[in-house]
Amino acid sequence: MEINESVLHGTPLLALRGRLDGTASPAVEEKVTILLASGATRLVFDCSGIEYASSAGLRVFLSAAKKLKTAGGRCGFAALTPPLREIFSISGFLDVLEIHDTVESAAA
Amino acid sequence: MTQLTFTEEIVLLALDDKSGAQLHLPVTALSYGLAGAVLADLAVAGKIDTDPERVTVLDSSPTGDPLLDPWLALISAETTARSVAYWLSVLSDRRTEIEQPALDRLMTRGILRREDKKILWVIGLRRYPTVDGHERTEVRTRLGQLILGEDLPDPRDAILISLLRGCRLTDHIFEGPEFAAREQRLVTLAKMDLVGREVATATNEAIVALTAAMNASVPHM
Repeated sequence: MEINESVLHGTPLLALRGRLDGTASPAVEEKVTILLASGATRLVFDCSGIEYASSAGLRVFLSAAKKLKTAGGRCGFAALTPPLREIFSISGFLDVLEIHDTVESAAA
Repeated sequence: MTQLTFTEEIVLLALDDKSGAQLHLPVTALSYGLAGAVLADLAVAGKIDTDPERVTVLDSSPTGDPLLDPWLALISAETTARSVAYWLSVLSDRRTEIEQPALDRLMTRGILRREDKKILWVIGLRRYPTVDGHERTEVRTRLGQLILGEDLPDPRDAILISLLRGCRLTDHIFEGPEFAAREQRLVTLAKMDLVGREVATATNEAIVALTAAMNASVPHM
């Protein structure tokens, strides 16, 4: 999985491309941990390149959202691909996570 | 004290607080719940991963936990990709081998004690009352607050709620009108883990099959 880190309107952005599975998720988790340790209270995942997410991948997303919320911050998930939207729907993530149509609106 | 495994937590929460007797659950529900707990334990240990199609072994090296390693070896030895439902079926048939070591460890940890009784001087009855009920109260309080509130669960609590609802233990653990009013919230939380959802499906299918078999055995008037 490819992970690109950037900042948009002052908000840290992680753009994920490829398969978010048990092999890839530790690297994403590590990025989130580093961002949190640096004091970030806002994070946006650009999900426009995610082809697939396993249970391990979903746990990384939920964990990130929980940690940001506990820290008094927010975590947004932007531009979900159809396969990711489907798995978010089945798992009820659409009801509990902050979902945005675009990265721009998530970082605004 | 180290964190209880999901397997230990399900075993613990399936016992009645006072008597130590197993709670009354639908047929095979606890077998599927324990099978799901094993898969969940292996998943959070980074040994397996799951999706709606299959269970994938990420790392077949032992965890060092004797409660889990026999099952990791079993799953790792399978050469064909199998679904969560398949492994729930296989592991639920091995319930005693999952449950008894977990009961033994809960006694070693000082959480449960064993009580052997005789009914009518002949029939042996073994129960596992809690020593002080602290762990069970802590889990119930934490998950209860999550159900009654609007907070996001962490992945571990989402998995546990999903497993508990999948094997119908939530009906016993979270009783009362305040929880009845939060049924939709419980449904939302329980959807969050794939293994827990599959436990619910397997339990429901077993109940339907049993009901159909019972109806078929009743002579038609």
